Amino acid sequence: MVSPVIETVPIPLTAEQAEAMAQRQIKKHHVAIVLLHWFNATSWLLELATGAGLIVAPAYRFAPVWYLQMMEGMFGSRANMLRFHLAVGLTWITVFLVYAIFGFRNYLHTEVLQHEVALDHDDLSWLRVRTLHLLGRSDELLPPQGAYNAGQKLFALLVYVSIPVIMLTGLIMAFHWFGTAIVAWAMVIHFLAVGMVVSGLMIHVYMGAVFPEEKPAFYSMITGMVDELYAYRYHFKWWREVKAQELLWKKQLTEDEERQHGSAENADSGAAESAPGSRALQKPEE
Amino acid sequence: MPRYAMVIDQERCVGCQSCTVACKSEWDVPNGFGRTRVRQTGTVGQFPKLSTSFYVSQCNHCDRPTCVPACPTGATYPDQNGVVRVNRALCIGCGSCVAACPYGARYINASLGKVDKCDFCASRLEKGLEPACVTTCPARAKIFGDLENPSSDVFRFAYRDGARRMETANVAIGPNVYYAGKPEHAELALASFAPAPPRTIAPARIWSSLLNKVVYLAVGATFLGQAVAFFHQLSKGEKQFEE
Repeated sequence: MVSPVIETVPIPLTAEQAEAMAQRQIKKHHVAIVLLHWFNATSWLLELATGAGLIVAPAYRFAPVWYLQMMEGMFGSRANMLRFHLAVGLTWITVFLVYAIFGFRNYLHTEVLQHEVALDHDDLSWLRVRTLHLLGRSDELLPPQGAYNAGQKLFALLVYVSIPVIMLTGLIMAFHWFGTAIVAWAMVIHFLAVGMVVSGLMIHVYMGAVFPEEKPAFYSMITGMVDELYAYRYHFKWWREVKAQELLWKKQLTEDEERQHGSAENADSGAAESAPGSRALQKPEE
Repeated sequence: MPRYAMVIDQERCVGCQSCTVACKSEWDVPNGFGRTRVRQTGTVGQFPKLSTSFYVSQCNHCDRPTCVPACPTGATYPDQNGVVRVNRALCIGCGSCVAACPYGARYINASLGKVDKCDFCASRLEKGLEPACVTTCPARAKIFGDLENPSSDVFRFAYRDGARRMETANVAIGPNVYYAGKPEHAELALASFAPAPPRTIAPARIWSSLLNKVVYLAVGATFLGQAVAFFHQLSKGEKQFEE
């Protein structure tokens, strides 16, 4: 049963309330996003493993020699490893291109980007408090967060900037585009952009897979669902939006029911009123 | 294992460019480039004591090649028989090795987008043939052979008859193309075509002086940060979210 009034700030929950909320699941991720996430993770794992094995020149190399030899042995030759690196990379680019084309209206427009990527005032103070928490230097409450917290937003920003750079520089090197000078710069920028993402990726993986409080976020990347208690505690602003939506739906359902009962008595007024209601019902996204 | 080398007898070379043509047709070298080239040194001295020479330049398959460490992908590598080769499957065409070569022996093949240079006709060597330029040279000015074999011509020229390497005090990386002939021929060639100190391309310079530090710092800092957080988490004990 949904409370008719939605809190504007998180309030302390009673044990029963918390228990009930922990049982309820809210949909967080579309199945396409879940699949894309794990496809992306697999691609990154393979590309990082082979990419590190391909860099052998002393001036660039960072992987130890035994690793280079192991990778070369696994693929038979470094040329095969490069072919594999290119095949996975091209597949990755293709899938993301398809996603960009078909998901453009749903995910890549200004409103969504502002909502899911741009940092607001709460996010900035969240970053400060979160860091202090991790270092055990503060007991301050975390400011309320939207569907994605400030850390996730920062990582998303980094990724949104880096991914096109990595794709373009990779293509330039793979197909020797634009001549020698550009290929040489592409090489260096490819390393740089990947390095930046990897530094964020380590936090991303740690927070998702190791850090105990964020476990529901990890499972949401498998089931697509989070429990309401987690949403309430960690993504309050998003929880409010979901609740507001639910209330709207409930209200609409009640009105529809009333209208159906009323239509038997007064058919004319019921038909006139049904138009705005049905439009609102067809608009699940805010 | 053989250690291949070449001797170019400047006294015999008449600058006919047969080697250039043989090489270009053997390896489909595009216009304006060459795996081997014949260059005239120009004339020096006072009439009637004038002197000139031809300098046949190509990859020297150096003992300490500067192109090999310059190659970021390891496409350029020294073969066990002393030939410095390019694995085209690995070359991305960045041009690092072109800048690193003191002899200008490398060029970017625009139709492939990859580097190309003399490899002593490695595919012919495997069939037991001599390099195309050596087979073609009508004056027998190009001599190919194994420096490990004391009865070979290259051994005789290089170690007994004083054929010299194109080296200067600045650039001495052990080239394995030896120049025979009168001493002034080699002097003339060196005066006009002295090896240039190897260059490092700007991206590689900026990478090794700055950008790699930025990447290592960023990755290291986040790793340290989360290590601190992890040990803090361990010391605190896992607190499940549900409680």
